[in-house]
Amino acid sequence: MIQMEKNIVSFTNNTVTKELPIQIKVENVNIFYGDNHAVKDVNLPIHEKSITALIGPSGCGKSTFLRTINRMNDLIPSARCEGTIGYKDVNILNPKIDVVQLRKEIGMVFQQPNPFPKSISENIQLPLRFAGVRSKKILKEATEDCLKQVGLWDEVKDRLDRSATSLSGGQQQRLCIARALALKPDVILLDEPTSALDPVSSSKIEELLLELKNSYTIIIVTHNMQQAARIADYTAFFYQGELIEFGQTRTLFTNPEKQSTSDYISGRFG
Amino acid sequence: MKIGKMVTDAAPASSSRSKLINEKGFFSRLTDRTSESRGKLLIYGSALLMIVAVTAITLFLTVQGLRSFVVDRLNFWTFITGTEWFPDRAENPSFGAFPFIFGSMAVTFLAALIATPIAIGTAIFMAEIAKKWGAKIMQPVIEILVGIPSVVYGLIGLSIIVPFMRQHFGGTGFNLITGAIVVGIMILPTVASIAADSIRAVPDSLRQASYAIGATKWQTIWRVVIPAAGSSLLTAIILGMSRAFGEALAVQMVIGNVGKIPTSILDPSATLTTIITLSMGHTTTGSLLNDALWSLGLILLLISYVFIVIIRFIGKRGEKR
Repeated sequence: MIQMEKNIVSFTNNTVTKELPIQIKVENVNIFYGDNHAVKDVNLPIHEKSITALIGPSGCGKSTFLRTINRMNDLIPSARCEGTIGYKDVNILNPKIDVVQLRKEIGMVFQQPNPFPKSISENIQLPLRFAGVRSKKILKEATEDCLKQVGLWDEVKDRLDRSATSLSGGQQQRLCIARALALKPDVILLDEPTSALDPVSSSKIEELLLELKNSYTIIIVTHNMQQAARIADYTAFFYQGELIEFGQTRTLFTNPEKQSTSDYISGRFG
Repeated sequence: MKIGKMVTDAAPASSSRSKLINEKGFFSRLTDRTSESRGKLLIYGSALLMIVAVTAITLFLTVQGLRSFVVDRLNFWTFITGTEWFPDRAENPSFGAFPFIFGSMAVTFLAALIATPIAIGTAIFMAEIAKKWGAKIMQPVIEILVGIPSVVYGLIGLSIIVPFMRQHFGGTGFNLITGAIVVGIMILPTVASIAADSIRAVPDSLRQASYAIGATKWQTIWRVVIPAAGSSLLTAIILGMSRAFGEALAVQMVIGNVGKIPTSILDPSATLTTIITLSMGHTTTGSLLNDALWSLGLILLLISYVFIVIIRFIGKRGEKR
């Protein structure tokens, strides 16, 4: 079974030659929704300027965990977190953390492309305006820079004033990534960013992420194991709220330690 | 025996055929419990009745409203631009409806000006800030406020706002701004309730997107949610305005009812609706004044249609975005 997997999955982009420094250190994290223990005792290092994929079947807690890293779960009144997520010498889960500033440093992209119903350029400029940038010149330069980073500039440079909702799904998602880049964050969280897109748009996003990992730390939740295998340097397998296994993607896919990991990646459940 | 059995055997075959091919006419199908015809009749009938009623009202009002121009030979232009309303003058009675058109417009816009900020603020509070409390307590309270008869608002205006205006701004207290305040309070719950619905209709994904780029709650509400709700908020305001425009009783009780163009918001004034309700009772059908009042009614209807067209237009534009 595992032998077969080796042939199907190609590891072209993710050979980790040397261990990268750790940027986020997750220790004993537990997340509850009311009485529901959604994420159980997770320990995980996130390496700088690399792609870490979180995989696992639906409802395994991977998205919940992702949304804790930039405290988006604060928006859900019943959600409660315990443990530490160490980042820049602070614990992200500390109640005193300025979540507005945190989200400027740890950006997020969602499953459904969600551009604002405003013009393309306003979509990129809004985060900067929120942060207090007023200079027209800076806003304009940032728009061009961010759109170039996601490879959207040539496609939209003549219609920056058009509504962002007029773009195709794939373009909208790249615009959302560009929007997340506008504040030059350290980390970008992506919650199944390609699951609502067609295969061509998906592969464009994947290529983009491989480019972006040179400048940003990327954590991606994905349903698609092939996607994890193609782009991730590290992969974490979640099952029923627990982190079953974490390691370099190649190791995890070719030589998993746990039986349930090998069962999942070989498609026996999920 | 044998023959009888054969006949009963043959019968089901023919009846199953008749179930597939319905040879009954429309009216005989009405007696059939399983047929759709009754429901169809009820729904089509209701829709038809509605269309007939609206058309009939419009036609009737048009015919009656045009009498003063066609039968009584009043000049249409001097009717809507004239500023002198002396229908009872024995010699040379004059019918200038402009003070009422102006009064209606002034009350409507001032009322909207008073109600809009408070209504939108209430809507934001209900739909964005105190969601649970807003849905459980404020929404029902506001719905009750919508249902309070306008005469009650008028009465409150008469006994509280009129004396207040008299004390603080002089005059009788019966004036344009008092009318606008009363109507403004009256349309407040309507506007707030529709505005809250339109804010709730903004997809949560936009709020999430906003928080994820480091927006504060206020920035999210002000720069993302309100613009996204934009066109439906405008619809709420215009719906409130059309209600203000059509209000007669509450306005009549506090506005002073003087058929002159007010020179300030503290002058007594009158509106299209107030002059109709005040005068209609003591006119005889077919008299000049009666016809003139019908013409005012026609103008009222036409302006109400304009409001509806504006709402439609905004709604269409909102859908396109």
